[in-house]
Amino acid sequence: LIDILTVIKGRRSVRKFKPEPVDRDILMKLLEAAVWAPSGGNAQTWRFVIVTDKKVMRKIRMVSPGLLGDPPAVIVIAQDLDQAKRKGGKMGYEALTKMDSAMAAQNIMLTAYSLNLGTCVIASFHAASVGRLLGFPDSIQPQLIVSVGRPAVDPSAPPRQFEEIIWWESYDG
Amino acid sequence: MMDRTGLEERIFELVSYIAVSARNLLEEPARYGPLRLVDTASRLIDIIEKEGVASKRLTMIRQKIEEGKYTAMGTEEEFQAFLESLVLLLVEQIERESE
Repeated sequence: LIDILTVIKGRRSVRKFKPEPVDRDILMKLLEAAVWAPSGGNAQTWRFVIVTDKKVMRKIRMVSPGLLGDPPAVIVIAQDLDQAKRKGGKMGYEALTKMDSAMAAQNIMLTAYSLNLGTCVIASFHAASVGRLLGFPDSIQPQLIVSVGRPAVDPSAPPRQFEEIIWWESYDG
Repeated sequence: MMDRTGLEERIFELVSYIAVSARNLLEEPARYGPLRLVDTASRLIDIIEKEGVASKRLTMIRQKIEEGKYTAMGTEEEFQAFLESLVLLLVEQIERESE
C-alpha cells in the first residue's frame, strides 16, 4: 500500500499515453473514488461520462485543445446546474459546483496514480460543444475532463514553494 | 488517384483545433496562445509527413516542438528560451535556403 503523501507527490500531469485500453473495472474504481470526494452542502450534483470509443473520443478531442497525448479514456466531469441552484443557491451554482468537480478530479487522479495510470486534468475545451456532442441537456455543464491511460512519459516534478507561502497564526508577507 | 479521405479528416481535425483554440484563448492564460500556435505547426507537419511530404528540416522542427512545447507549463523563462531556440532553428534553415 502506498501512503497518501507519496501518491500526492508522485502524481504528474501526463500528456502522452500508451495506446493500450484501460479496463472498465479500473475506470469504475476511479469513479468510485470521484463520488467519495467532498461535496459542498452535500449537493452531489456532479455527473460523469466515461469516453473510450475512438469515434466519440475523436469528436471530443476536436473541441478540446487541452486534450493531448491520445489517451485511451477520458472522464468528463459535469454538473447539473439546475439541481445545484435548487440545492445550493447562488453559491452552489457559481462556486461549489466547480470546487466539487475539482475535488472529484483530484480523487480520480490520485487513485489512478496508485493504480499505475497517468492522468491530466483539462479545462481547455469548449464546454457547450462537449456537452452537445455527449448529448447533455442545457442544464448539465461539462466542467473538467480527466484523461486516463498508461503513461508513455515520466514527467519531472515542477518545484514547489513551501516556506514562502505558509504562515502560522497570521499573514506576514 | 490517391484516397484523400484520411487527409481531409486530419485537416478537419486541425481546423477544428485551431478554431476552438481561438475561441477559448479569449479567456485562457496568455501563454496558451504560443503553445497552441507551435502545437498547430507540429500537427501540420505531422499531417503532411503522413502524406509523404517529409523533409529533414520539417521533421527536425516537429521534433523540436514536441520536445519543448510543454515548457509552457514550466517557468516563463523556460518557455521563452524554448520558443527563442525554435525561432533560431528556423532562421538557420532560412539561411541555408539562400546558400
